[in-house]
Amino acid sequence: MNRAAPPLGQVQRWMHEALRAPGGDTDARLAEMIAPPGRIQALDALGIYQRSYYQRLLTCMREQFPALCRALGEQLFTDFAREYLREHPPESYTLYDLGRRFPGYLEASRPDRDAAEAEREVWIDFMVDLAAFERLLFTLFDMPGCEGQPLADASTPDAALRLQPAFALGAYRFPVAVYYHGVREEKSPDLPPLEPSHVALVRKDFLTRTVPIGPTQHTFLKILAEVGSVPRAMVDLCTRHGLDRAAVEHSWSEPGGVRERWIDAGFFVPA
Amino acid sequence: MTEKSTEVLGRDLGLGLGLRNVHFEHILEHWPAVDWFEAISENFMDSGGRPRDVIRRVAERYPVVLHGVSLSVGSTDPLNLDYLARLKALAAEIQPAWVSDHLCWTGILGQNSHDLLPLPLTEEALDHVAARVDRVQDFLGRRLILENPSSYLTFSHSTVEEPAFLRALAERTGCGLLLDVNNVFVSAFNAGTDPQAYLDDFPFERVVQLHLAGHSHRGTHIIDTHDCPVRAEVWELFARAWEATDGAATLLEWDGDIPNFETCHAELLKARDFMDGPTHAAAPAPLAADGRDAVSTPVDFMSPTAMAAVRGDQT
Ligand SMILES: [Fe+2]
Repeated sequence: MNRAAPPLGQVQRWMHEALRAPGGDTDARLAEMIAPPGRIQALDALGIYQRSYYQRLLTCMREQFPALCRALGEQLFTDFAREYLREHPPESYTLYDLGRRFPGYLEASRPDRDAAEAEREVWIDFMVDLAAFERLLFTLFDMPGCEGQPLADASTPDAALRLQPAFALGAYRFPVAVYYHGVREEKSPDLPPLEPSHVALVRKDFLTRTVPIGPTQHTFLKILAEVGSVPRAMVDLCTRHGLDRAAVEHSWSEPGGVRERWIDAGFFVPA
Repeated sequence: MTEKSTEVLGRDLGLGLGLRNVHFEHILEHWPAVDWFEAISENFMDSGGRPRDVIRRVAERYPVVLHGVSLSVGSTDPLNLDYLARLKALAAEIQPAWVSDHLCWTGILGQNSHDLLPLPLTEEALDHVAARVDRVQDFLGRRLILENPSSYLTFSHSTVEEPAFLRALAERTGCGLLLDVNNVFVSAFNAGTDPQAYLDDFPFERVVQLHLAGHSHRGTHIIDTHDCPVRAEVWELFARAWEATDGAATLLEWDGDIPNFETCHAELLKARDFMDGPTHAAAPAPLAADGRDAVSTPVDFMSPTAMAAVRGDQT
């Protein structure tokens, strides 16, 4: 062997650290690790890997959070994402996992995190919510679904309606879904005001839809996800929240009502 | 194309294309006359959505090969058995002609760079990789095919040339080889060595598959971008490799700025012009660098177009 060859694990720890935190190596160290240059100097050769490391991951982050990237502006988004990647280097074999911890990171690293809630910056709340929404939306793409199996239809009895697997609920302090779709439609939306929003995400025929719902509907669907059956969820909703059973049942089953719209949107499979 | 090819039928699958998200619709609609497809394993192994559905349907009609980027066979971290189990499950479902990955490492200490990083080529590394290839092959219950990576640096303490390293690895473990002639060109150019000399020493008898791709010439160095047509010098290497491997299964990789399916297919079919041996006169590739930032192993290689499949009921 040439010289005293460093063990493989040591070489890998060195190179990986050099990718994550470029600039930490002396010329002597580089000369020790990297062969005399062919056409490019050791530093430039390592630089190709260093640049690619962040560029690759940042491109992927921008793809996973397109609306947040627009809201923050590409430069600021990239700064946040780079810091995030520094603090939470990817650990999974799949890039699908890359943005999983980003919403939590944004919340944990906000400069006003120690301030009283009323004193916190509202726009940061929005960014955190938008990140959480986009992450949830992203996971719908590959989660198990029910394509290829029949969905529930108008004839399915209430007792046989089950939430389908590619389904998720979100509750936010801002109308994040409206903002998201504004960005996707190239409408350059303004940052929305503080205004709670609830949304159901559902995938049907490999297309993910965001369906706006009201707060009571959100609660109902949450209960439904726990208890499984629509009639039980309805009883639970009314008792837990002191709602009038007849009014709830009417808005559920009236023509063009909740039942019909949610069945159309593909929320349910037959039991 | 009704009967699926398996590895038993050999390595002569013909001319194949990478199975990419942007081409899904075209493929499902037209069932184009491509000989076979190569799928990036990680883009499909965890999918319960469209990618999984597409690969199932494609595998019913075409031979498919699974090509991984995250095995990290050269890492000193423990092998990721969860990853291997998912790969094995995908292979059981898709019945690929073979399963491949790269002679590289992707991370350490539980972290993943998502890059195909070069190994120091030493006896120590050979022992290490060979032991892991054995374990992977045992686990998967099938032969592993390993590809020569593109590289931008070589380690000063390397003692073995890559062709000799791959030869020894294949002899020890029985693994097959995927020879990427574009990577040969890229690595040789960057190291200032002769790609033909690389091929002089390559164990062609172990080659199951060839890769073709485009690269980005930066004047002083070349980046393996897979975002343009195959360069003339690479076709020349292909012609030699095709002859020396007696027509191994050949695949075109196009991962960045992916054009429409027909353009990719037409580029692949140019391979036919180079099947008469390495005497074909090839024009030199332009040296001029384009202005874009080049990222090695482009991200489209691994990232889904998930956010494109979203619709809103907001109005
Ligand atoms: Fe390749």
